[in-house]
Amino acid sequence: MGRLSTLFSPDRVAVVGATDSDGAVGRAITENLQASFTGDIVAVNPYKESVLGLPCHDTVADVEADIDVAVIVVPPDVAVDSIREAGEAGIENVVVITAGFGETGTEGAAREKDLRETAAEYDLNLVGPNSLGIMSTPTGLNATFGNEMATSGGISFMSQSGAFVTAVLDWAAERDVGFKDIVSLGNKAILDERDFIDEWGADPDTDVILGYLEDIEDGAGFVQTAREVTQETPIVLVKSGRTDAGASAAASHTGAMAGSEAAYEAGLEQSGAIRVETVQELFDYAQILADQPLPEGKEVAIVTNAGGPGVMTTDAVGDSGLDLADLTDDTVERLAETMPDEANIYNPVDIIGDAPAARFQAALETVMADDNVAMAVVVACPTAVLSFEELAEVVVDCQQEYDIPVATTLMGGQSVGPAASTLTESGIPNYFDPARAVDSLDALARYDDIQSREYTDPETFDVDRERARSILSSAADRNQNRLGVEAMDLLDAYGIPTPEGEVVDSPSEAQSVAESIGDEVVMKIVSPDILHKSDIGGVEVGVSPEDVWDTYEDLVVRARNYQQDATILGVQVQEMLDVDAGTETILGVNRDPQFGPLVLFGLGGIFVEVLEDTTLRVAPVSEPDARSMLDDIESAPLLRGARGRDPVDEDALVETIQRLSQLVTDFPAIVELDINPLVATNDGVAAIDLRLTLDQEEL
Amino acid sequence: MNTLLVTSTNDGIGKTAITLALARRAQQAGYDVGYMKPKGTRLQSAVGKTRDEDPMLARELLDLDAEMHEMEPIVYSPTFIQEAIRGREDPDELRERVVDSFEDLAEDKDLMIVEGSGDLSTGSIVDLDDVDIAEALDARMLLVTGYDSVATTDAVLGSAQTADDRLEGVVFNGVADAKMDELNDDVIPFLDGRDVPVFGALPTVPELSGVTVEELARSLGCNVLTPDIDLDKHVERFTVGAMGGSSALDQFRRTRDAVMITGGDRSEVQTAALESAGIKALLLTGGFRPASAVLGRAQEEGVPILLVQSDTRTTIDRVEDVLHAGRTRTGDTVDRMGELLAEGVDVERLLSVDL
Repeated sequence: MGRLSTLFSPDRVAVVGATDSDGAVGRAITENLQASFTGDIVAVNPYKESVLGLPCHDTVADVEADIDVAVIVVPPDVAVDSIREAGEAGIENVVVITAGFGETGTEGAAREKDLRETAAEYDLNLVGPNSLGIMSTPTGLNATFGNEMATSGGISFMSQSGAFVTAVLDWAAERDVGFKDIVSLGNKAILDERDFIDEWGADPDTDVILGYLEDIEDGAGFVQTAREVTQETPIVLVKSGRTDAGASAAASHTGAMAGSEAAYEAGLEQSGAIRVETVQELFDYAQILADQPLPEGKEVAIVTNAGGPGVMTTDAVGDSGLDLADLTDDTVERLAETMPDEANIYNPVDIIGDAPAARFQAALETVMADDNVAMAVVVACPTAVLSFEELAEVVVDCQQEYDIPVATTLMGGQSVGPAASTLTESGIPNYFDPARAVDSLDALARYDDIQSREYTDPETFDVDRERARSILSSAADRNQNRLGVEAMDLLDAYGIPTPEGEVVDSPSEAQSVAESIGDEVVMKIVSPDILHKSDIGGVEVGVSPEDVWDTYEDLVVRARNYQQDATILGVQVQEMLDVDAGTETILGVNRDPQFGPLVLFGLGGIFVEVLEDTTLRVAPVSEPDARSMLDDIESAPLLRGARGRDPVDEDALVETIQRLSQLVTDFPAIVELDINPLVATNDGVAAIDLRLTLDQEEL
Repeated sequence: MNTLLVTSTNDGIGKTAITLALARRAQQAGYDVGYMKPKGTRLQSAVGKTRDEDPMLARELLDLDAEMHEMEPIVYSPTFIQEAIRGREDPDELRERVVDSFEDLAEDKDLMIVEGSGDLSTGSIVDLDDVDIAEALDARMLLVTGYDSVATTDAVLGSAQTADDRLEGVVFNGVADAKMDELNDDVIPFLDGRDVPVFGALPTVPELSGVTVEELARSLGCNVLTPDIDLDKHVERFTVGAMGGSSALDQFRRTRDAVMITGGDRSEVQTAALESAGIKALLLTGGFRPASAVLGRAQEEGVPILLVQSDTRTTIDRVEDVLHAGRTRTGDTVDRMGELLAEGVDVERLLSVDL
């Protein structure tokens, strides 16, 4: 158990601000604790002699026994004092129910800062403020002001919305969904999602971790912790604010920028958490992950008495990450022997409409014994000859005997009730919609993949960090926050190949650089004010030495015509690479407020601009991560020699991605950076163009 | 009489700050210094009468007790211009008025500093551009100019030729760091070669460019929603939050010393701005208060939030005006300009006084 174990299984809880006033939160919490908590409850309220039969203490300091958790329900202006008293009294865990902090405006934000400082001073495990409270079923702990206590089970649940907790409890009660611990995160002033996944990852009684989140405070840290936790315990999350409108609503709720959806997608994928979009999926996945064994493959067998629903289930398998199992010849032969002639003995196995439960049993036993079958879906429609109750028992028996994941789709209304209960009690989920059954099984398979992931530490390359620092600092000294090709040496310092070239500020120097290159050159205007150089005619390719002087003039004139007062640092004269011999890719970085640097890779040109065929990873990017980025893009075949191209040097690309990841990890001042294009050929890569934005304050 | 007239190639490049800093410097050295701005162009309605802000500031900073109507004999208002064009102003009479006022002000002074108006051509319609005034007052001239690119050289040389032998020299002001080398290495030696002496090039410094958030708030009549946050940061430009949160973040990160304008209901844009180091203040339009949680976050980040009733379109126009015209004119800016002049300009030679 982790450091929060006494938070969830305390021996003694103090309610600071306990009261018996009708409708008060302090009363609701005291009553909830009294209703089921197996430990001691201490009431603290200097204005009361006793509350609901509990003697009142003036402060927590007056309580002689050790208090494990102080629940703070006092008005906001005295909440920080109460927290300090708890700290002074040596209490480790504090749950702040009191609202009126950062969520209410400037005064509240100042108060929240005090709260954070006080909590840090006493090293408190502090939940909230603005929290609904916490629950833990083994000790009957209900330190919330909700109206319902959770039933016990293996799901631990955290929510950034208190209201969502109460709604979920009510819903779960009807469906026999049981919980281990529940926490309403509130404003996450101290403890946040990362602390709780860490705690529950170490908790043997938590089978699945669920979360409803609107933002993640420290994305990179979350990824790291979640990777460790998901090796043992699945994490399923709803991260709301996916759409622009949703992000705005979340920002209004939390005051935090939600971060880009792309960052969450990449970060959560890397973290091993399974992200869902709906509450239904959240609990579907939670239940199946808590109750069913993990599959040893992705192959699904479908057994049904109904042709149409069988086809729908097959489509759902096609849409998912699962495969339709290829039944062995033995299985097919056995089915041929035991099933009626009209039956379809290939997967999906349709044992036709007159099948009684016994026929289901025969078919299931045959199919589930097949080594090619990793999971099974039973799809049944009500008929006069089929008893759903009998079928439920058959499915339960088969699941227990063969120990592979099973989901059922008993398609009906009232007639399903008792059978569904039998199934649920044995941990087999039943749904009306076959797509849900397949999705849930898919979640199991995904988690199995996640569990078998091997994470590699990012490689550290030998780079010239000091040189990079001095390039960035001198830009900052010039008060320049946007850099272009004049900073190409930065890439060079990190071992990212760049073509030979130089930035010059006169036509004569341009001439001499071109002469030393000794061939046709590429010339580009260098100006922090001009982002899209080629759009304004700021790039000339294949300039012969005798044209260098005139081209220099042309480029400067075009830049001036585009923007009269643009700062023009000069012109870059660069060795001409045979771009057509290679493939243009784009490699970039954008720093996300929550996840830190996100490394982007894609094919250049229309692939990035029109098709947006790119992939992202949260840095630092390891070798396998970088390699998987190459696989991720839709246009990956073009890297590998599709349509008669030369395949590119994938190792060089993979190494460049990692080197860039190291650069942006080393320098948080780089808030965005694009190498576009990064040309990949069959024997290496070259960064042709660069632009980046600096946050000077981070340097 | 030792008289220096400070003129400029354009309006809004720090003429007032330089004029007053020079006057102060001489004053501190013990000289009795007078100030005059013959044509009042930066007009604002004081009680009952339209007056230029600059002489008012001069009076306060230099502790002068001269009458405003003498320090600013011509109110160069739109009405005045119209009347002049219709032939209803007599140039000779105006010149006489300027000279009379000057003589009154200059009595017992060691040094007179005269501030030009607008640019070098302002006043041509009544034969009283800055060169005419320098002639009338027998003043030497200092030309203040900005620097955008080598192309600026034409305008500087042209203006210098207009001023002819009245020109004492040129001061470049507000020069971007990135352009300083080009100016020093190429342009100044060129001007020297054309007999246009350059006294120095002053770098752009944040306190002298743009306006403080406080001035912006006052000029726009904003409601300040973050009472505990200092409004002393400078903003030089604005950016409009009209897109989704992530693209907004990219845009905001690329800007510096900016005020971000958006609607009060755009929480995701507001929080993106609070994440961006270059955004110094949020200006919310339409009278919509932001979400409380956003206010809380602003408090944490120390970024002020201002609220105006006008819509975004109108607000942008007004902010543009304030940023363009409203360089900070306070005692502090004049002090800072004094420091820059001390570092980069031979003030003694410029003023022809021993300091």
